[in-house]
Amino acid sequence: MKIQENIPGQTNDTEQLSLILEKLREEVQALKVPVGYFDSLNPRIIDRIQEQENRSFSKRLVLSFRKPLIWVPAFATVIVAVLLVFTIPAKKVSAIQSVDEWTEINMAYDASYAEEAVFAESITIDKELANSVLPNNESLTFPHKEPTADEIKAYLKEHETETDILNGY
Amino acid sequence: MPEYSDIELVELFRIADKKHYAFNLLVRKYQEKVYYFVRRMVVDHDDSDDVVQNIFIKVWNNLESFREDSKLFTWLYRIAVNESLSFLKSKQLRSYLSLSSPEAMTVKSLRDDPYFDGQEIQKRLREAIIRLPKKQQLVFNMRYYDDLSYDEMSEILGTSVGALKASYHFATKKIEYFVTSN
Repeated sequence: MKIQENIPGQTNDTEQLSLILEKLREEVQALKVPVGYFDSLNPRIIDRIQEQENRSFSKRLVLSFRKPLIWVPAFATVIVAVLLVFTIPAKKVSAIQSVDEWTEINMAYDASYAEEAVFAESITIDKELANSVLPNNESLTFPHKEPTADEIKAYLKEHETETDILNGY
Repeated sequence: MPEYSDIELVELFRIADKKHYAFNLLVRKYQEKVYYFVRRMVVDHDDSDDVVQNIFIKVWNNLESFREDSKLFTWLYRIAVNESLSFLKSKQLRSYLSLSSPEAMTVKSLRDDPYFDGQEIQKRLREAIIRLPKKQQLVFNMRYYDDLSYDEMSEILGTSVGALKASYHFATKKIEYFVTSN
């Protein structure tokens, strides 16, 4: 049974539409899209393509590591590296840390450093006395006599000279 | 933007450093036609957007191996038809799970469509179209809106011209009846 015989008027490309369908066809496109939709479509497609290509690259990488030809040498390299790290002795670091130049200068220049040092020393002596580490109080007396006025002046003069050098910094 | 023929675009796409440029031109050339074709089938804008993106990703993946024994436009349309039908099929499966009929869901999204700016009669026309069987919908949209010839439609859908004419005839009769009877 031929279709052309059953459907008169539908056998060529110029079929007749009803008036209402003809009218609706000519009307303005009623389907809308968000503003700028067609401008943003291409970049979004490109983004998705790049995402897909990145995914397939990592997938290929994972698959390639399943081949023994790839993972055996890689594994061997890692083992050798680990052995090297643990077998080569580490360079010894000096236990005594050197004091940098500025710290030394500050210690010499700032009087509070000296005071703290004297204070710390006196606490230690007090503790030792309390614990009777020292034999008797006589041993604590200073053997030398009191300095004379000239000696003090000479000492101060010498000290002043040193601090003048420090002032240059 | 320069106007390239479809053959020139395909040739340009095959040159490694021109691939992106050619693809960009191709998308710009066909994006609106493809979008509106999909939108008429799928109805919802967001769904249409997803389907359109999938179509062009398929184009990107397969254009290099495109054989020029058919027109690029026809090939693109075939991808659009397949993608739209796959989407509708998956949507149908989802609607079975949600216990509502797929047709009812589509009619609902048609009525709530915020991106439709037509008269009531145009809405009725759309409703009439989406109530058609899928094959008749395709044929009607291609002929009525996209003005494709029966030969082009035959190449895209792989159906004889006679069957397409019959399909279109039945589709128009059903639509006229639906639009005028209410």
